[in-house]
Amino acid sequence: MTNEYYPHILGFLCNWCCYTAADSAGVGRYQYPPNLRVIRIMCTGRLDPSFPLEGLANGADGIFVGGCHPGECHYQDGNYQALVSAALVHEMLDRLGIARERFLIEWASAAEGPNFVKIITGFTQRIAALGPLGQTEGKDPQAVRRDLAEAAEAARGRKIRTGLINASREMMKGRDFSRPVIAGLVQDKCGKALQEIYGGGSVGS
Amino acid sequence: MNAPAPNIKSVVTSGAVMVVGGGVAGVQAALDLSALGYKVYLVEKSAAIGGIMARLDKTFPTNDCSLCILAPKLVEAGRDGNIEILTKSEFLELTGAPGHFTARVRKEPRYIDEDVCTGCGQCTLYCLKEIGDDYNEDLRVTHAAHIDYAQAVPTSYHIDPKSCLQLNHQTCGLCATVCKAGAIRFDDEQEILELSVGAVVLAPGFGRISDDNFRQYGWGRFDDVLTAFEHERLMCASGPTGGEIVRISDQEHPKKIAFLQCIGSRDATCGNNYCSSVCCMYAIKQATLAREHDPDAEITLFYMDVRTHGKGFDAARERAVAENNFRVIYARPPKVEDVFDGGLLLTWSDESGQHNYEKFDMVILSQGLESPDDAEQLSQAAGIDLNPYRFAATDNFTPLATSRPGVYVIGAFQGPKDIPDSVTQAGGVAGLCAGLLAKGRDSETVSASFPVERDISDEEPRVGVFVCHCGINIGGVVNVPSVRDYAATLPNVVYATDNLYSCSQDTQGQLVKIIKEQRLNRLVVSACTPRTHEPLFQATMREAGLNRALFEMANIRDQCSWVHMHEKEAATAKAKDLVRMAVAKACLLTPLAEQQLPVTPSALVLGGGLAGMTAALTIADQGFECTLVEREKELGGRTTLLSRDRHGNDPRQVIKELVRKIENHPKITVLTEATLANISGYVGNFTSTVEGVQKSLERLHGAEDARQRPGDNTLVCEQADNEADLAPCNRSTVINHGVVVIATGGKPYQPTQYCYGESNRIITQVELEAQLAAKKPLPAACRSVVMIQCVGSRGDDLSYCSRVCCGQAVKNALRIKELAPDTQVTILFRDMRTYGFMEDDYQRARQLGVIFTRFTPTAPPRVKVGKGGKSKPTVTIFDPLLGEDVERSADLLVLATGIIPEEPEQLAKLLKVPVTADNFYLEAHVKLRPVDLAVDGVFVCGLAHAPKSIDETIAQAQAAAGRACQPLARGTIAPEPIVSNIDPAKCIGCGACESFCPYKAITIFKDGKLRKARTITASCKGCGVCAARCPTLAIDMGRFTYGGIMAQVRAFNPQGDE
Repeated sequence: MTNEYYPHILGFLCNWCCYTAADSAGVGRYQYPPNLRVIRIMCTGRLDPSFPLEGLANGADGIFVGGCHPGECHYQDGNYQALVSAALVHEMLDRLGIARERFLIEWASAAEGPNFVKIITGFTQRIAALGPLGQTEGKDPQAVRRDLAEAAEAARGRKIRTGLINASREMMKGRDFSRPVIAGLVQDKCGKALQEIYGGGSVGS
Repeated sequence: MNAPAPNIKSVVTSGAVMVVGGGVAGVQAALDLSALGYKVYLVEKSAAIGGIMARLDKTFPTNDCSLCILAPKLVEAGRDGNIEILTKSEFLELTGAPGHFTARVRKEPRYIDEDVCTGCGQCTLYCLKEIGDDYNEDLRVTHAAHIDYAQAVPTSYHIDPKSCLQLNHQTCGLCATVCKAGAIRFDDEQEILELSVGAVVLAPGFGRISDDNFRQYGWGRFDDVLTAFEHERLMCASGPTGGEIVRISDQEHPKKIAFLQCIGSRDATCGNNYCSSVCCMYAIKQATLAREHDPDAEITLFYMDVRTHGKGFDAARERAVAENNFRVIYARPPKVEDVFDGGLLLTWSDESGQHNYEKFDMVILSQGLESPDDAEQLSQAAGIDLNPYRFAATDNFTPLATSRPGVYVIGAFQGPKDIPDSVTQAGGVAGLCAGLLAKGRDSETVSASFPVERDISDEEPRVGVFVCHCGINIGGVVNVPSVRDYAATLPNVVYATDNLYSCSQDTQGQLVKIIKEQRLNRLVVSACTPRTHEPLFQATMREAGLNRALFEMANIRDQCSWVHMHEKEAATAKAKDLVRMAVAKACLLTPLAEQQLPVTPSALVLGGGLAGMTAALTIADQGFECTLVEREKELGGRTTLLSRDRHGNDPRQVIKELVRKIENHPKITVLTEATLANISGYVGNFTSTVEGVQKSLERLHGAEDARQRPGDNTLVCEQADNEADLAPCNRSTVINHGVVVIATGGKPYQPTQYCYGESNRIITQVELEAQLAAKKPLPAACRSVVMIQCVGSRGDDLSYCSRVCCGQAVKNALRIKELAPDTQVTILFRDMRTYGFMEDDYQRARQLGVIFTRFTPTAPPRVKVGKGGKSKPTVTIFDPLLGEDVERSADLLVLATGIIPEEPEQLAKLLKVPVTADNFYLEAHVKLRPVDLAVDGVFVCGLAHAPKSIDETIAQAQAAAGRACQPLARGTIAPEPIVSNIDPAKCIGCGACESFCPYKAITIFKDGKLRKARTITASCKGCGVCAARCPTLAIDMGRFTYGGIMAQVRAFNPQGDE
């Protein structure tokens, strides 16, 4: 696999759960593919929606975000906030016609070294199957990365971020943290801003 | 006080405490004592601290990963300069008096030098001698040279002298050859230490139920009969099966699992008549996890009574039972039999007397907690008394004090208990020691001092990169020299080198030298994980005059060399990438100011009952001012509703004595008929307004000076003229204080069920308490008393169990039997929750003929009563043995009603602290921070936290007081500098950050006409949610800046475009 193509994967791991899980995988000497590069953040709640987009724009073929299991956030609800940011990233990937499978947000508790290994191994295989960014999409890699850089810029913009604030508010009010519900909230609250940028309907091909 | 009395050898109060036992209780006590300004000797028998909690997979009721929440505490203890961990050490003898004891301790050799060992594990790898792995309940093997578990503190290996080939036969010594650090010491010797300490805390934990007990249930004969601790290791991902629950006999997943409760508890045959308190709940946890491992598993739990009386436990249990379809059977199968096709046969008779039998694939024995195996030795060494079950003897009203003054006991050795109760007691004992040794505070501690930080604001980044070999841990996989050379080529890197062990003591000295020589202003260490080692390097940086925020680590061991052991080239490439990303981030790091915020050294305690008064006294004894606010006219609270405890003491007398102490204490100001009208501020700096009457008592004991320190409690109230004339003045009082303790208490639930109020023969247990202490305790010709448990509790009106009612009913039943032995007493119950040593009362009541009849919530007792206030009630109950309803006329019907907390809403809102659905205050962490609330500087104790008994209330109040005094003792608070920063120029005042901040650490304020956000640095924990949600990117996080993370992202870009 590595001879033909070496997927580049960037990870954002929260200090308390997933980063610790990655460490404990090391202590247990569990082996996994050497494709992941990790950026440590204190909480997945810190995940700015622009980070994964920038990561893809800067040479990653896949982005992994790892946090604490739902309800186990070291702070209180940072991982739910991360789901909101993640929903936006997925939404934008859809609109750009980029395989949404290139972005994964998953959980591993500090004790779950083996689980972390499973997630990363699976994700690496998935990205390897998708090929370099642009391949499965049938697009020019340079153009895709340009699109992504623009998307990241949009994710730094006030309109989209205001939409995310409203989606987060609704989520906290409704206390339903399931991914489809959060995706719905983000589509609803950021829809207008996204339409201004990308025009047309919501979920892409 | 100032003039030393002649002829008495003047002795200085020690500022050191010895804690015996390094389990969670001992470690917590050590940390709390250190935080209060005391030197701690933490004496641990084994080679590592952590105790039993380190062996658990998860903890109930939240099923948090046990080691994950414990490990940070262990590391903290290991790093604390004021905690000296003595492993493989045993406490031998104690001489002297409280305040100045001498403790003799024998320290056995580790044969591996703790200070030199780097924890690389080469010795284990090469050790030829296999031994049972005790940490894994001997379910797998380790080697004579080993570390107890991966996260052990001290992170140092040791050699088992009983099995080492070199030590016994001089035939090996391989470990010494392969140890690159040169840490092996075959000539290591036993030492006897004499420690000068002011107090001793015993926290040895609990012992193991004897194998004979397990054998009775087939353990040791049948492979698939496991103790609960063995099962715990099987469940654990780091356990012998990598987290797979499999039958030992055939490695198959068990489909039918049975849990047998009360193994070694509530069992006269083994002498442990008491209840171990924790097994009912941990069985539920284990059963739940077993189902998670295998959703097809059918699980049966055999209970005598379901004793899940802890806070939130009933709810967690009920949910678990419903969700996982557990079968709960009230029975005690007497044995396990083997049937020939590999199944395990259980037989039992149920409550209707019917016999049943069934086959299971696996049987788990829920073992109880026994007194420590060396309890007698320990009692002799410490000179303390034991109770009949060989636990430390303590008094109901001084639960943490042993029979010897200055020697305290906490954790399971004080009586079987769970983790939160142990942690609570640890906090309490720290408060008590700090009171006893108030004069010795800070006398034996060291505070790390660092040189003045170099101003680097005008300097270009000068990054130094240190790549670690970690012996062969990294160097054996990653080509370290090539990483080093690569690092040297990166922008802004002015120095790059490699070290065999970057963390070793001598390398730290080298680092300081190099930082100075090379004028480095950023440091990147490319080694293990920042989670364990960042603080070490940061301390080194500070020694070299650099701000600790100028540090970044590249994790090339735990997340690289260890996980890509067979892909050396790829691992080396990854290490280079990680170093490049770290350097990119490092260039953008800026110094972060160490915040030092002053603390008003006084406390506010809300509630003048048993909890509040105990807390106030424990705070004041430590030398801090304390204001005690009580809503009623008198102090005392509702403990006075009880007329006797189970030992025969009168709680009302104890309360009276406590009130006297409070009113005479020079450091305590009492405000009665007073309520908190307002509170603002944050930890260290609260300002409260209390409305009501002040009992201005301080002049009684000449504390004129106490009021005059600026910044102290500013009391607006006028002073009374003489002591007889404690003129109340109805004014509001403004109080400045550093911390708050909530002890607002609870009250009895008022029943409407069971015809309560229709006859004076139907009363509550609380009313019975008063009656039993009166002249005519029982109605004339009282022949029959019926008691009904759980009135309004456990899902009836209140969802929870009130914990104390079962014990109270049994106690009062015994009192009735004592007064009138011929009276027939019947207790109708759901589960008799006489946990701990209260089980003795339960047994005694049964022996004296008290009848216990179980009812289910679907068939509760029915009560009829005739007209007229004196008519006798009739109680009808379904008798499972007879299989029919039984009617009984009662001369007295006593209802056990639960406890409800005082309405918390207003106070909770003022303090911004969460409460549970049942209106109890919600602690910051149910396991490890049981008296802290989510808002720093606010603590809770007593019934406001959850229903609890007198001794538990006292211990918890002492804990709240101990914890509350930590910021007061330090005098300043230093929040982590990774807090959020708001750029006012970019902030549009939308308030999103304020609403999403989990810690109320951001507020919106008016800046002229504009709304702006402001970080309350003292409250911020650095999660960064505010930054991720800020619409204008006006918020950035210290060390984890937007720019820094973006630099990492850009540096991630594999340079060669492919």
